[in-house]
Amino acid sequence: MSNKEDILKRYRANVREMYDMPDLSDIAAITYGDPLVQFIKMTESVGGHVIEVKEGQDINTLVREMYPDAKEIASNLPEVTIATRNPDTVGRARDLNGTDVGIIRGMFGVAENACVWIPQTMKEKAVMFISENLVILLPKSQIVNNMHEAYKRIEFDETYDGYGTFISGPSKTADIAQVLVMGAQAARSATILLLPE
Amino acid sequence: MKSEKVMSTGHSKAAKEFLKNQTYAKWHDATFWAVRSKRDNMAYGLDEWEQLREKASQIKRHTITHLDEYLDLFATNAEKNGCIVHWAKDANEFNEIVYGILKNHNVKKMVKSKSMLTEECEMNPYLEAHGIEVVETDLGERIIQLKGQKPSHIVMPAIHLNHDDVGELFEEKLGSEKGNHDPTYLTYVARLSLRNEFLTADAGMTGGNFGIAETGDIVVCTNEGNADMSTSCPKLHIAAIGLEKIIPNYDCLAVFQRMLCRAGTGQPTTTFTSHFRKARPTAHPMHIVLVDNGRSEWIGNPEHWEALKCIRCGSCMNTCPVYRRSGGYSYSYFIPGPIGINLGMLRDTQAHSGNVSACTLCLSCQTVCPVKVNLGDQIYQWRQQLDEFGTANPQKKLMCKGMSAVYGNEGIYNLGTALAHWANLIPSPLMNCGLNPWAEGHKMMEFPKKPFHKLIKDLEK
Repeated sequence: MSNKEDILKRYRANVREMYDMPDLSDIAAITYGDPLVQFIKMTESVGGHVIEVKEGQDINTLVREMYPDAKEIASNLPEVTIATRNPDTVGRARDLNGTDVGIIRGMFGVAENACVWIPQTMKEKAVMFISENLVILLPKSQIVNNMHEAYKRIEFDETYDGYGTFISGPSKTADIAQVLVMGAQAARSATILLLPE
Repeated sequence: MKSEKVMSTGHSKAAKEFLKNQTYAKWHDATFWAVRSKRDNMAYGLDEWEQLREKASQIKRHTITHLDEYLDLFATNAEKNGCIVHWAKDANEFNEIVYGILKNHNVKKMVKSKSMLTEECEMNPYLEAHGIEVVETDLGERIIQLKGQKPSHIVMPAIHLNHDDVGELFEEKLGSEKGNHDPTYLTYVARLSLRNEFLTADAGMTGGNFGIAETGDIVVCTNEGNADMSTSCPKLHIAAIGLEKIIPNYDCLAVFQRMLCRAGTGQPTTTFTSHFRKARPTAHPMHIVLVDNGRSEWIGNPEHWEALKCIRCGSCMNTCPVYRRSGGYSYSYFIPGPIGINLGMLRDTQAHSGNVSACTLCLSCQTVCPVKVNLGDQIYQWRQQLDEFGTANPQKKLMCKGMSAVYGNEGIYNLGTALAHWANLIPSPLMNCGLNPWAEGHKMMEFPKKPFHKLIKDLEK
């Protein structure tokens, strides 16, 4: 007998009483009068920044103004023209090390905890984590209330269908004496650019 | 292997060491109480919190009593996604499987994110003995790895060290500036050092907070982003996950994702909630190792099977008055606190009976547990079996026999309470000494001249 069959058989034999799956449709989950306002508030409380992009404002100019000293900017987004590196065409993932600013796209945000759903849409997903500063483009109409709504709508990319993540603010740790420090192993800052309709 | 018998007083003996440094002991207590308070703020911030706890408990009860079906579905979907799924009966098999995969890919160095399962299986020493360098990448885990220690908390593994301890360690191991023990600086030093490890490792290992049967996803929650860094550069990803971490679908995941971090650290979410479905296009196929190591037996334990509901948030230890005042190293099992007491007893009653006295039965643990594991009730039940396990403390057994004789006989009891105040006349040094086990850790009480029964009767007159 294979390990799998052996383990499953033993497990099944030892279960005593079976329990039913509860109904999850009646969870009275939190909602907000204005989910966007809550999303902005939560993003700031988890250490992220939010900038509302005005109609007609150029993202490239904006990012340049935010990071005037940035030398290496990585992105595969067509609207980003200031990129010096492309995660689709780098030879190896590690070649993205030393990226000052990585620019990626978020699909929707979650008001209750500032999570942004980011499916992998590039060859090397390292760009989401290896960059010193992360900039996430997010249409401001795409905010859901809570994780129940979020998990009803997450989708993976058709081409890169192996990975997706929720990101809420910058990488952080409190592992040294419980002192909160931003920038553990991934991006040291995270900025959401809220795009107009 | 027969383990050495540890009597039920093992924990309190070990806790004496911890309590020698009172400044630190007070800091430890206050720090965890602050985490507990942060958890409360999160719980009170959601009207549906108690409803979520009930749903989470019911989902887990359902899932772990149908786990054979969900495991099969998970494995089928993961394989459909292109992952290679392995099944390990015990720790030994797990270590062999992991080593086999690494050897096939000629791996010299592996980075890994935090996994209590690999601690359970003692994987790192096994791989190191086989010539593989293993680098922990969660900052807390990295600190204790450099120090040659084990975690003292499941979510905050280096909580027993202060910034000076870490500063001195980094001066020695990572060449940080002498005397600069600022946590921000030290975190940056570790970041630079670990960045180099991520870029040069041949493989990355993650644990898994959840496995999703319906999609085959492995879901990993971190604040540091180290699980994502571990799997973004190396060409091989191995995910190690205990059987009980499988849940049915995303609707269930939403419930647990909302609770895990709120309960554990008092944050609304971890920074990263990452879903690994298959390897990235430029990497080798992803391997998933499902580990039994006792779980298929524990599900059959009529009193303790619900310990398998645990999602390892750590909230039971944060709130536990005994954990807060005795620290993780006072427990003999590698997971401390209320959940560790129970899992340790499921693992080996002889080796871990010493932990069951580390409980005041205040039940704070099961009041905060996001999946409603009846932790304190279970500890009480283990205590009833100590005699059967041969691990009951003989002195306490004798005291219990004496007490049942006194309390079982009204005449003796009344005589005893009427005469007890004579004991007040015994000089303190004779009472509060090693010959009187009651006086260990507390001062003898003063007996009233008039016993309580008498007082009530007189009042009723």
